[in-house]
This record gives sequence, C-alpha cells and structure tokens, in this order.
Amino acid sequence: MRLRPGSEELAPVSARFPAATTATVAGTALHSRRRRRSWHRRALPVAAPYALLLPTAGVIAAVLGYPLYLLVKLSFQKYGLFELVRHKGHYIGTANYARILHDSQFWTVLGRTVLFTAVNVALTLVLGTAIALLLVRLGRFMRVVLTTGLVLVWATPVVVAVDLWRWMVDYEFGVANWTLTKLHFGNFLHHDWFANPWTGFGVITALIVWGAIPFVTITVYAGLSQVPQELIEAAQIDGATSLGVFREITLPLLKPIFVILASLSIIWDFQVFNQIWIMLDERPTSDYFLMSIYSFVESFRISEYGLGSAIAVVMVLFMLGITFVYVRQMVRIGEVQ
Amino acid sequence: MRLRILAAAIAAVALAVAASTAAGGTSARGSAAATKITVWLQNDAQTGWPEIVAAATKAFQAKHPGVDVDVQYQTWGTHLTKLDAALAGGDAPDVIEMGNTEMTKYMAAGAFRQLTRSNYPNAKTWLQGLADSCTFNGKTYGVPYYAGARAVIYRKDMYRKAGIKKTPTSLAQFNADGKKLIKRFGKDRNFSALYFPGKYWYASMSFVYDYGGRIAVLKGGKWQGALNSKASLAGLNALAATVKAQSRANKTGDEANPQQALVFAKGKVASFIGNGWEWPYALDPKVGNPALAPAVGAYPMPSHVKGRFMPSFLGGSDLAIPITSQQVALAADWIKAFTSTESERNLATQGKVIANTTTLAAINASNPQLAPFARAAKFSWFVPTTPNWANVENADVLQNMLVSIFTGRASVQKAANSASSQITRILNAGS
Amino acid sequence: MSGPRTLGSKIVANALAVVVLVVMLFPVYWMVATAFKPGRDVLTYTPKWFPTHPTLANFRDAMGRAYFWSDVKNSLIIVGVVVVLSLALAFLAALALAKFRFYGRKAFIVLIIGVQMVPLNALVIPLYILLSRVHQVDKLSGVIVMYLTFVLPFTVWTLRGFMLGVPRELEEAAMVDGTTRFGAFVRILLPLVAPGLVATSIFAFIQAWNEFLIAYVFLHEPSKQTLTVWLANFTTLRGTEWGPLMAGATLTALPVLFFFLLVQRRVAFGLTAGAVRG
Repeated sequence: MRLRPGSEELAPVSARFPAATTATVAGTALHSRRRRRSWHRRALPVAAPYALLLPTAGVIAAVLGYPLYLLVKLSFQKYGLFELVRHKGHYIGTANYARILHDSQFWTVLGRTVLFTAVNVALTLVLGTAIALLLVRLGRFMRVVLTTGLVLVWATPVVVAVDLWRWMVDYEFGVANWTLTKLHFGNFLHHDWFANPWTGFGVITALIVWGAIPFVTITVYAGLSQVPQELIEAAQIDGATSLGVFREITLPLLKPIFVILASLSIIWDFQVFNQIWIMLDERPTSDYFLMSIYSFVESFRISEYGLGSAIAVVMVLFMLGITFVYVRQMVRIGEVQ
Repeated sequence: MRLRILAAAIAAVALAVAASTAAGGTSARGSAAATKITVWLQNDAQTGWPEIVAAATKAFQAKHPGVDVDVQYQTWGTHLTKLDAALAGGDAPDVIEMGNTEMTKYMAAGAFRQLTRSNYPNAKTWLQGLADSCTFNGKTYGVPYYAGARAVIYRKDMYRKAGIKKTPTSLAQFNADGKKLIKRFGKDRNFSALYFPGKYWYASMSFVYDYGGRIAVLKGGKWQGALNSKASLAGLNALAATVKAQSRANKTGDEANPQQALVFAKGKVASFIGNGWEWPYALDPKVGNPALAPAVGAYPMPSHVKGRFMPSFLGGSDLAIPITSQQVALAADWIKAFTSTESERNLATQGKVIANTTTLAAINASNPQLAPFARAAKFSWFVPTTPNWANVENADVLQNMLVSIFTGRASVQKAANSASSQITRILNAGS
Repeated sequence: MSGPRTLGSKIVANALAVVVLVVMLFPVYWMVATAFKPGRDVLTYTPKWFPTHPTLANFRDAMGRAYFWSDVKNSLIIVGVVVVLSLALAFLAALALAKFRFYGRKAFIVLIIGVQMVPLNALVIPLYILLSRVHQVDKLSGVIVMYLTFVLPFTVWTLRGFMLGVPRELEEAAMVDGTTRFGAFVRILLPLVAPGLVATSIFAFIQAWNEFLIAYVFLHEPSKQTLTVWLANFTTLRGTEWGPLMAGATLTALPVLFFFLLVQRRVAFGLTAGAVRG
C-alpha cells in the first residue's frame, strides 16, 4: 500500500496497531496453558453493560433528573418573582403553552431561527469541508500551521470573540468599515451594520461560521485522511476527474461524519444566544430575536420562570423533531456489529 | 506505561476533588455561627471606589468585632438572574445593591425586608427621586446609595470657534448653536454637534417630560401608556429634530458602546449629554485625552421654555436587605456605615456621583465639575413606580421606539402608538 | 485525494492556505495586538494595525486585578477534573454502547442526544434549587459535577464512534488466548482509542474553560470564581476597558493553546476514525 505524501497515519493494519499485534502475540505465548480453565472466567456477566453505563447515567440522572422534572412541572405553573420568593408556584394547566402557541411573535421567531440555523449549518459544513480539502493538498509544514491557527480560533472564548467582531464592525471605530472603504467597496464609515437585520444577521452568521469552522475542518480532515488510497487511484486510472472522485468515493465514505456534524451543528446553532446578545449590547430589537433570545427576554429576564420553562420544553420537542432523521441514523450506526 | 499514567491521573483527580471540596468547606461552617454577612455590590464600586467600601467595612467592624464582611462584586448584565436563583435557593446575600429602576418589581414581590426609615443616616433629607424608588405602598424597603444626573458636557473651545458666546438657555437657542457648530466643523464626517446614540432613552425621555408628556399615567387604578399623548408627541418631535440636525452618532447604538465620553475624547464631538463621572473619564490619562482638560465644561440641558432646565433622569442605586437574610441587624448596620454622611461625602468627591442626601448638595455645588449635574438633579423625572416597569425596560420598548424614529422606519406618531400600547399591556399584566 | 501534482497547484494551495489563515486569524491577531496597545490607541478612527507604542501595562493591569491568580487556579482545577473524569466515565459508557447489546440501549442513546437540546437558561433555577438543597452552591465540586453532566453526552458519542472503528479481530484474538474480555478492553482497546480520548478531551477542555453562566450564578465567593467570570468584570456601567480586557482574554486563551499543542499530534488522526468505519 503506497502512502500518500504527508499521511503517515495511513498504513496496513499491523503497522497501524503494532502494539496490539505484539500484545496479542505475547498473550498467545503466555496464556496458552490456561486456555481450558478460563472460559467461565472470561465471559462477563450479563449486567456488565449496565455496570459500565452506571457512572455516566448516574451523574446525568443525579444532576438533571430533578431539574428536568421541575422544568416540566414549572411549565404548567405560574411561577413569577412573587411565587419564586415564596417557593410556591400556582398551577395553571396548559395556559403557558397556549400563550406561546398563540403568540404570533413565537412563530415568526421560530421560522427565523430555522432559517438562521439552516444557513449557518450549510455554510459551516461547506466551508469547513472546503478548508479540509485544502488541508489535504498542503505540505506538512503549512498543514500544521493552518491547523494550529484554526485551533487558536477555537480556543478564543466566545464572549471575547463576539466583542472582537463587534468592534471590527463598530460604527465609529470599526476596522472592517475602514478597510472596506479604503478598498473602494463603498462608503462604510459610520455604517451601522445592525440597522438592517439582513446585514446584521450577515455579520452574526460570519461570526458563527468563523467560530464553527475549526471543529468541522479538523473532523472532516481526519475522515478524509482515512479514505483508502487504492480506491482513489483506481478511479483516477479509470479517468475520473477530481470532482468525480470526490462525489463517488469520498462523499459516501464521509457520510457518517457529516451526519454527526450536521446534527451537532443544528443543535448548537438552534440555541445560539451569546453572539446576538453581546453583539447588540444586550438589547436586541425584536427583529433579531432567535428562540433562545425570545425565551430569555419573554420569560427569564422578567422573572416569569413558568413561561420560560414551557418555551424550553417546546424548543426541545421541536429540535427532537428536526433531528429525528439524524438521531435514527446515529442509533443505527454500529448496530450491525 | 499507560497504566501508570492512568494511576497518576486518578491520583491527581482525587487530589483536585479534595482541594475543591476543601475550598468549599469554610462556607458551610460559616453559616452556623453569626460571624459573617455577605454584601453584593456592583463592579462599578470595585473599579471606582473600593477604598470607600473598605472604609465602611472597617467602621462596621469597629462596632461588631469578629464579624466577617464578604463583599462580592456583580456584573449588571446577569446579576438579577443570579439574585433570582439565590432567592429560589434560599441563600441570597444580606445586603444587595439594586439599580433604582429595578427596585419596584422586587419590592412588590416581597423580596426585601421592610426597613424603618428613621434609623438610617440622613433619612429626612434623602433625595426625593431616590427615596421614591425605595418606597412601596407607603413602606420603605431600601436605602438610597447614590444618584446620577445628566447634563450637557461640551467643548468650550469649539463653541468659541463657532461663535457661540454663552451657553444656551433654551432649546431653540441650543438648536441654533448646533447649526453654528455644524457650519464650522461639519465637513468632517465624524463630527457631531451633539453626540446622541439612538438607544439613549434616559436623555430622550427628558424631552418628553419637558413638554409635559409622560411615559405612562395611572388612571382609575390602571396604567395607560402616554407616549402618544399630544404633549409627549411634541417632545418626541422636538427630540427627533434636534438629533437629526446635530448628531452623527449610531442610530441603533447606545451611549455605553462605545462609551460616549471616549468618543468625545477623540476630539470630533462638540457636546454630549452625560453623567458627572463621564467628564473626568473623558480626560482619563489611560483611555481618554487629558490634554482637553482646560477646554471642557458642562451645563444643564436647557428646556424649550426659556430659563428652565429640561428635567434630568435621576439614575442611581439603592441598597436593600433580601427577605432570606438571617443577619438583618448586622446588614442594617453595614448599610448605615456605607451610607453615613462621611461615606457619602467621599462618594461624591471621589466617585464623582451625587450623594443620597440634599445636605451634601453643597459639596457638589462648590465643585465646578459637579455643580452642573447637581443643579440638573434638582429638576428630575423618574419612571412609573410600578412592579411591572422593570419588564418594560427589559422588553426594550423605549429603545425600540427611539430606533424606529431615528432610523426613519416609523413615523413619530406610529412608533409612539406602538410603544404606548405595549407599555399599557406590560404594566397592567397580571392585575 | 491525491497530493499536489504540479508546482503550480502546490503554489495555489499554499496561497489559498495563507489567505484562509489571514482571514481566520485576523480577529485573534486584533485581540493580541490590542492587548499591547496603550488605552488611547485602542479606539481610533484610523485603525492602528500594529501597536506603535507597545506596552505591557494592560497585562500588568489585568494580572494585578483582584483574584486573578486564584481564579486561574480555580479554572485549572475545575477543567482538569472535568476532563479526566469525563474521559473515564465516557470511556466506560461508550464501551457499553459500542460492544454490547442490551435492553435500553436505544433509549439511553436518545436520552444522551435529547439532553444536549435543553437550553441552559431554562435549567438554571431548577439546578440552583437542587444544588442548594445538597449544599453544593458556591463550591467548585458543584460546578464540576454540572460541567460533567453537560460534557458527557458528546464525549460518550465520540468515543463510541472510535470504538466501533477498532477491528473486532484484535479483541477476539486477545480473548481466545485467555485474556478476559475486560482485559481486552483495557489493554487493547484503550490504547487504540487514545487519539479519540485526546480529541474529546480538547473539546471538553474548551467547553468547561469558557463557560460563564453556571460559573457566575453558582460561585459566589470571588476567590472561588473562574477566569471567565473574572473576564466579565472588565465591563461596568462605565463601559468596557478594552486594553486590559484583551490582555485578560489573551491570557485566558493561553492554557487552551498549550493543551492543544501538547496533544496535537494525535488529534487529526483521532477524531472520526471510528465514524468512517461505522
């Protein structure tokens, strides 16, 4: 098997897992005598998987069990500041849900969030993959430099990153404004990017995609480096173009990764809060409401925790609905084994 | 080899867990004996006047030796969420600083202990505006901490160069002066005669109140949004005209991002409406321009009625004792130490804010840097005192209205109508 | 994908890489550059691309602020414990999900995915009520346990993917020769998914390191807070102090960078070895 330049990770099984192979050989020599006696000791009890899951399930259940129960309970109560101080809610049935579902703003915000999520996820995946494809073509030095740069982006705290972007497009002192003007793209001095929600969301989308690219790129790159070289070479000998190779061979092999990345991105982008909140100085106008902002402004900020809980429940149900297909895929992956 | 790493990692984790639980151990012990009170102040105190806080604690400890005072600084953005969580969990602090517009909602919910006003320093001479924010249904639930009023901070040299000989005494004069400034300096695209960001509602509403309008009125037990009354509309129209003619500031921005005093310090702004502390901030050697010092002055914003001032929004903070506190007497004593005449005097001189009592107004009056603001504070307006007011603020009703007016997305009438109906709905919710 | 075949395509690739690098890194560069600028040079009408009067004053200011070092310590403790514990717990749970068939497997998987969808804002008060009852408010251990809960789902998922990618033959070969199944897991599987452990540890590190809301609400004593909360104090009613904030932010980003550089060789290989195979 020929190695691609710069991909010393790809090698025959025994070369890739030398330690394991050696261990196996050593094990054979050492334990051959105990073979007869060891069967009953080897098989793990039926309870094994449950025992392995117990710590994780235990932590999650212990920390989230009661709060989730409380969340659902609160969604059926009036629980404002008055009730909170007295530690006692007031049962009002499905009134919170009715209020949300009858609020036209809820539906507008929901629609806007879905559109926003779709655009961000698509851009992130496309650009992230493109940069990953670029990484493959680079020499080792440039690859390490670019990867490190991407990680630096990933490591910047979100709050600080938003501050930086906010500042780059600042009305008075924005670097981006100044640069665009100097490059004769128009007059951007004293340009308020957020006066128009379309340009405002453009800036926010750029920020979010910028922050999300490192994770996607590094993941896709890892997947790309796993694609067996022989398949590609065979196809090229048959005369396939680069695009053809990508479409027929690479893409299908990368499908599981894209499923995971897409579903994670959807979950994360649907819940975007900080970027909008801080970009708009903690006072976004209603044009900028996404679900998490709407939820915060309509409930938590005015201490209406019952209503806020109901909105959260609706959000979860909605997200489960959208990602249902992906969830099913993820459950199926590995089921054959 | 790997097992050794694993073992080392587990040992490290065990150590760290032990460290973390040990670090938390003292707080559990502390609550048993009455040896500690917790105070939540905003981080403005941490950066602005930490010595005054320390002095108050020292004075308090002289009276109560052995009592620990734990001052924890909060951030304005999320401190109410933290307070709500603490109230729900039953471990709120013993003393808490609240913005004066945040008080009513919490007082109405019964979150604070009732106080006996006369026990506190200078209670008889508290600034009326602040005292009102601490009162609910005739009972007192808070102690005024400090106030802020706004005035016009301006460049004397720019006024002179534009041919303005005296500071304006009426709004009409102010606008005329603005025209002169634009004529002289307006060619620079960054220049503003009056730097006025769109979401600056504190300064905007002054116009409304100046013309006799109101944000909301109480009629027959119910609140009614009043921004679309004739008087209010007159004020809003005057505001729109002034800002349109004189300001090149961001129509969807607010006065803190970027900090307007710093924009002023860059030299392309002739005037802006700011708090007392914004004057020295513009001259701060670290972030401002100290060279401007001799050229800066201030005067109260003139009313449309000649010879009067526009009412200034009386901002500020109060101190309260949450209902969950177990150390009410100690908390009260700390508040008394922190709002003593001595402490307030230091706040006024060092923190450049307005003290909570009229008896100290003289200090402000004799200080040329504080006098205009103290004068502006005498004629003030405040938000409707109803528990749901905080929700109006949180829903950004006023900011949204102003932005749509300034960006031209809605006419003054339409924007005011929309805002008024929202205010009516929010203020009357749940009643 | 074939490597660069001609000098021309190699130049193009490298040029593109430089462009991508410049675009992606510009905000980070701006952050670091601002950290070295004196306050007056921070807000300027004409951008100062390079700090003409570089100063360490902002760093001194930031590091001199109250509780900087104790907050560094707290952040390191919290993140260190979370990363190690989450890896250990997730490894075991992923084993169960990848190598065993049992009743309730699908339900657990759905639970893990669903948990990631609940907005944190909605959980703050209920979590506070719970933790208050067990006296875990204002304690690092309380925050650690909460962070664990939020990091575990993703970690379990990723590790499961890796495990599915390890050829079963290796395990079976080991077992035939007398190793117990669990022995096979530890001696064979663990080293092979080490890259995956490394990758998820980076993700867990970053998540825990930069988290704000929980750290702010649940940690009261200033000596117990984390660096992220400490960063928030650069913003008061009087606006934001940009120079010191950027200096503080640069300092905050350093540990993550060090951690990554330490483990970076394994990352590229590790992240989805299992997913592709699965």
